[in-house]
Amino acid sequence: MNYNDQTRGYFEAAPGAGELAPGPDVSRGAAGSRASGTWVQFDLAWRPGSGAARIESARFLAFGCPHTIAVAAWVAERAAGRGRDPALPEPLAALAQRFAVPASKLGRLLVVEDAWAAAIAAAAA
Amino acid sequence: MSAATYLDYAATTPVDARVVARMTECLGLQGAFGNPGSTSHAFGEHAHGLVERARAQVAAAVGAAPGEVVWTSGATEANNLAIFGVANYYRGQGRHLVTAKTEHKAVLDPCRELERRGWRVSYLVPERDGRIRADAVAAALAPDTVLVSIMHVNNEIGVVQDIAAIAAVCARHGGTRLHVDAAQSLGKSTVDFTGWGVDLMSLSAHKVYGPKGVGALLVSQRRGVHLEALQFGGGQERNLRSGTLPTHQLVGMGAAFELATADPIAAAAERSRIAQLRERLWQGILAFGGVLRNGAPEHAVPHLLNVSFEGVEGESLLAAVRADLAVSTGSACASASNEASYVLRSLGRNERLAESSLRFSLGRYTANADIDRAIAVLGAALTRLRRIAGQSQ
Repeated sequence: MNYNDQTRGYFEAAPGAGELAPGPDVSRGAAGSRASGTWVQFDLAWRPGSGAARIESARFLAFGCPHTIAVAAWVAERAAGRGRDPALPEPLAALAQRFAVPASKLGRLLVVEDAWAAAIAAAAA
Repeated sequence: MSAATYLDYAATTPVDARVVARMTECLGLQGAFGNPGSTSHAFGEHAHGLVERARAQVAAAVGAAPGEVVWTSGATEANNLAIFGVANYYRGQGRHLVTAKTEHKAVLDPCRELERRGWRVSYLVPERDGRIRADAVAAALAPDTVLVSIMHVNNEIGVVQDIAAIAAVCARHGGTRLHVDAAQSLGKSTVDFTGWGVDLMSLSAHKVYGPKGVGALLVSQRRGVHLEALQFGGGQERNLRSGTLPTHQLVGMGAAFELATADPIAAAAERSRIAQLRERLWQGILAFGGVLRNGAPEHAVPHLLNVSFEGVEGESLLAAVRADLAVSTGSACASASNEASYVLRSLGRNERLAESSLRFSLGRYTANADIDRAIAVLGAALTRLRRIAGQSQ
């Protein structure tokens, strides 16, 4: 399998990999399963006193192929400053193009999207 | 050329320099460029002599007679010729074959094609150690079975099948023909075509430091097995495989086979050295935790190690090591598909563990430093990917 530079770079560096300590200003959401081959989790730290209105920082964990890890890392990197928007920073089609994700793997991007939406929803709850 | 450590000798091997020299002698104006079939002049006679010498070298290396060697383009063609050749010739006697789920695709795909043509195929499931028991073969034989096809050394896990025992079962069952894919065997395990009582055997040159694009099918004369040819035009190889013989390729295969078997003491010492390196690699990997060895080492060739890694996804693991380490997931022939190994699934591994497995195959040029580097690269990749997956221990 060949990967483009974006995928290789984010897969190898995986910026933002890890977890945040649980707390009142941290929300967590996950989707997929390791048993099925793709699992993603996002931890979002909300700006204190903002009433979960603005994300201060994000971390992610991912079990999956290089494309899954790279996209999750890219999404986490762009989280700071965003509000309670369940949509990813880019539509799935644009992400698929940015990371040259093969058509057979597009379902894995849905797992990233679901994990992100779950983390946003957890903040609203 | 990549600076990665090469641990994929089961996929292919570099051509030995002595083999290259012998092959090169055949090329060019001063070489043996004559058509081996054109024995009406000295050029053809010279080439013919080299081809027959290579035939004798290959036969001697595997306990066969020179007249039993049919040249092919490799083991895949040999497997196809054996399976379709027997099926077509003996179709009046029956339409049933027996093989194993862990065979190479070059055996399984022809079997599936025969199924599409109305044949029945029994696919034996190996024991947990990867071996096919002879009594399982016996139980699968039917009155209309025309061929049993079982590989000698498995290309993914290295397990060696007891071919002599399986051949004995076939002999007791009215002499049902037995074909053996021995592409991975030479240099790693003893091969005895005549002594085992095998009817057909597929061989490959490039797995044993010979050139790619050449192989052979051994067809037992003593046992009187017949084949229908699959290609026509020229009548070479006793009408079984028409086409001009590639002198330099055959000379290369002959030289490689002779080198692999000419000095049994040196060959045994080399197998011992490789076995020690493999255990050094396994002990290094074992220390990472969360690893499972596939196939029983006591029944396997010394040069191959197959490991499933828990807590990491297979494609990511391969991507993480590929700049520094040349290894395979499953067989080289199936790696492009990114599918979980059907061989490991047949051994009972779940899809995740089958998919997160790597095959390490060592060879003549593998040294301690290669093993140490492989362990370091793997350790770094596993630690990083398990941390990203939230699976740190």
